[in-house]
Amino acid sequence: MKKSFLIQFTLLILLIMFANLGDRSEEILIDDELGNAGGIRVELTGDETVFESSEPGLVPEQGGTMVMVQSAEPEHLNSFTSTSAAASRFLNYIYETLLDYDYETWRYDRPLLAESFEMSNDGYTFTFKIRENVYWHDGQQLTADDVLFSIKAVLNPFVDCAPMRSSFSKVVSAGTNGDFIFHITSSETYFRNQEILGGFHIMPKHIWDPEGLLDRYSVEDLLNSSITREEAAIKEFAESFNLNPQGRPVGEDAEPIIGSGPWLFDKWYTGDYMSMVRNDNYWGADSTFIPGYTEDGAYLDKIIVKVISDATASLTALKAGEVDFVPRMRAVQYHTQTNSADFLEKFQKVSYTVPAYSYIGWNNDKPYFSDKRVRQAMTMLIDREAYNKYIAYDMGIPTIGPFYIYGEQYNHNIERWPYDPVRAVELIEEAGWIDHDGDGIRDKDGVPFNFTFSVSSGSTGSRYMALMLKEDLRKVGIVVNIRQLEWSVYVENLRDRQFDVVSLLWIGGLETDPYQIWHSDNIGDRGSNYIGFRNAEADSIIHHARFVMDKEKRNAMYFRLQEIFHDEQPYTFMFYQRDPGAYLKEFHGVKWIPIRPGYKLYSWWRGTSTMESAL
Amino acid sequence: MDQMAPARTYSQIVSSQFKKNKLAVISLHVIYVLLFIFIFGDFLANDKPIVMRYKGETYFPVFREYGVKLLGMQWQDAFKSQQFKILEDKYEAGDWAIYPVIPYSSTEYNLKVKLQPPSMSHVFGTDELGRDVLSQMIHGTRVSLLVGFVAVAIYLAIGIILGALAGFYGGIIDIIIQRMIEIMITFPRMFLIITIVAVTETQSILNIMIILGFTGWTGVARFTRGEFLKVKNEDYVVAAKALGYKDFRTIFRHVLPNTLTPVLVTATFGVAAAILIESGLSFLGFGAPPEQATWGSLLSSARATLPTGWWLTTFPGLAIFITVTVYNLVGEGLRDALDPRLKQ
Repeated sequence: MKKSFLIQFTLLILLIMFANLGDRSEEILIDDELGNAGGIRVELTGDETVFESSEPGLVPEQGGTMVMVQSAEPEHLNSFTSTSAAASRFLNYIYETLLDYDYETWRYDRPLLAESFEMSNDGYTFTFKIRENVYWHDGQQLTADDVLFSIKAVLNPFVDCAPMRSSFSKVVSAGTNGDFIFHITSSETYFRNQEILGGFHIMPKHIWDPEGLLDRYSVEDLLNSSITREEAAIKEFAESFNLNPQGRPVGEDAEPIIGSGPWLFDKWYTGDYMSMVRNDNYWGADSTFIPGYTEDGAYLDKIIVKVISDATASLTALKAGEVDFVPRMRAVQYHTQTNSADFLEKFQKVSYTVPAYSYIGWNNDKPYFSDKRVRQAMTMLIDREAYNKYIAYDMGIPTIGPFYIYGEQYNHNIERWPYDPVRAVELIEEAGWIDHDGDGIRDKDGVPFNFTFSVSSGSTGSRYMALMLKEDLRKVGIVVNIRQLEWSVYVENLRDRQFDVVSLLWIGGLETDPYQIWHSDNIGDRGSNYIGFRNAEADSIIHHARFVMDKEKRNAMYFRLQEIFHDEQPYTFMFYQRDPGAYLKEFHGVKWIPIRPGYKLYSWWRGTSTMESAL
Repeated sequence: MDQMAPARTYSQIVSSQFKKNKLAVISLHVIYVLLFIFIFGDFLANDKPIVMRYKGETYFPVFREYGVKLLGMQWQDAFKSQQFKILEDKYEAGDWAIYPVIPYSSTEYNLKVKLQPPSMSHVFGTDELGRDVLSQMIHGTRVSLLVGFVAVAIYLAIGIILGALAGFYGGIIDIIIQRMIEIMITFPRMFLIITIVAVTETQSILNIMIILGFTGWTGVARFTRGEFLKVKNEDYVVAAKALGYKDFRTIFRHVLPNTLTPVLVTATFGVAAAILIESGLSFLGFGAPPEQATWGSLLSSARATLPTGWWLTTFPGLAIFITVTVYNLVGEGLRDALDPRLKQ
């Protein structure tokens, strides 16, 4: 019986095999046009600096609540010591800075808490004239003393804000002149000084340092380690600052966070939500709020930020009416799970850009990738278009370099490397990678072309990329091993430069300084140039451009730098990311901007037809 | 009594008992099919032709692949890139190729046909890279069965030896081995496995097999020990001792064969358990490396596409269910057939 069964089975298989011989069936093609899945695609090209996805021209109304989703919860809400994006995103509505982005030119030169400012002729000193009509949420007036206190807190070596402090490492002095003049001096004429020195949150001195512990010390004192070591008060302040429970304890008993912004801190229930209410005494309510963005102060009465870490759960909450706005969903949800007529009638889907780009980093110090021809070949072997179309649901914007595609630094004159496997193989052979020993794998100087692609276990996108690359390179005689690593191990290996290939995302800004990632100073010693990019011309451009204050000249230098990047291909630059989101159509004044997180809730308002929010 | 019926050997008795259990017999045949797929997987699903005529010569690419992988042979120059489907454009008159039933390999991707429901060209549909699900399942069968058999073989070897020593000698050896078993079983097995997998440097199926082997032996050891305790005072054992046989010979030649059968029955259940654990690990992403198609990893990739893509959950899920069930049914059938109390 055993035998007869096996024979029957084999016969059946053979039969199907021969039936199959005649026609190798054609493939069914899926719809080539992905379209926008019923959503709006935010494009910030040309003169468009702010994109409105709701119907423009309506008269805004005040009132209403908005419930939005955030995937992570901050560990605490101290603006300086927190490193989480979740905290700074929330606190940006409560605290304010001296300067902010101009919403028309997207330069960092719109006075906010400052009424005006000027840079000294030598470029080292900035002087800010603080507005005289700014009041903290508790009614006290905001003065230059608060600004000085804030910078002192940052520079206090015992405050747990080392990552933030490193941006201020060139500050040499700061002080006040009367109640409303604040000046600060740097030892360098670094081009990002204005953004850094005018861009930190101003915190109220009377709340954080009621005893005036830092009053006795000047900024110069705080920078002098022999003084900070001696003086107990400096350490005492830092200890209380590090532990100050603003926004804590939770719930109804939470101590309010006193800021100066258009929203007041309301409540924080750990694991559930954080909320804020509109500041009806906002100092700026009467003046034009943000030119080109919103004419008046904030409109919504209340914003509730609900913490839902699981993407499926947050979409379910949106559909169930528990939340009004999901700023980030998965591409597959956007394209396949939110297309019902019901959903599209009730919600508006939007895909907007954020300054973050994905890349594949080739370790330039490994024998396989030390030759730029091989790196160029690798780029040409990756079908980025197909990846974007089929895996990323067309959510990527192709980029040729590290600068933001909507910023002024981006060089639009460079053509992307094409997808050209034939030319790629030629380049690999030119570089000397030929199968010398005849084992089917290319080799050079006895080293077989056999490398490891490290993939973070949470990232499906890079896993797919690795699988595709493995299959494609196998056909040209190159072996790819895929290694899945836990995120913490992955980062550890990255810093120690223990990898061949990585696939990652850099989060940048409108204007960035390539020094940290691309200068050869930052190779090794846990620097961010972990792929080991070395190029003398690039180093010199990166170094000199830092101190060129003329934007045109500086950008011309960065244009050249991008040509070098393009030729060297230290990374294969993939895409700037589109974040897909959806909000209830009852909201108006929905505007999208090119800085993180891509939207600001100041301009949002809710139509009168609103029902009470579900929360 | 013996004179009334023709004498039957032990195995004849067992096999006739076993055949009375229809479900077990069917299950056994399903296992044969699985074994067939296990052995001939490359001939069932592959992107290389089994036989092809190219420019006047006949080639056997699938066999050649074995040669390349196992014997260090070379691909012919024309086939260096191993893209046989592209070669079809270069066919001359009289050239032909016979492909396996499923003319796709488990790694071959085609983004244009991603996430296709079952159709004539992809019988079980495709996954999110456009890889053929059926082909992945066929190659996944190898992983599942291999893990099942090797892991169980490892733990049988450990368990039987330790159990035999404990049961035969008793005393201090027994106490030590018993305590070892107790320490092992205080750890929840899945938790222990995930912990070990997390600290191993590379992901490979071999690791999974070894880890499953080294964490699964306790049951077998206890069972063998029990059987030894039962048997060790039987007359033939005492006789072996009296004849001055070495302990080694007594244990392995005389006692073990008489205790082994029930142990092997539990091993059948063990195979099913190992397959299930491997699928679970792959589902969680701890198991096989990403390029290796396994049933568990197919299920896990389905999770990302839910609620669409029913074929990604249904077929691998069924495969796991059926395999685990048939091993359990065969195990049950064997246990019943071997039970003397049921002998009629």
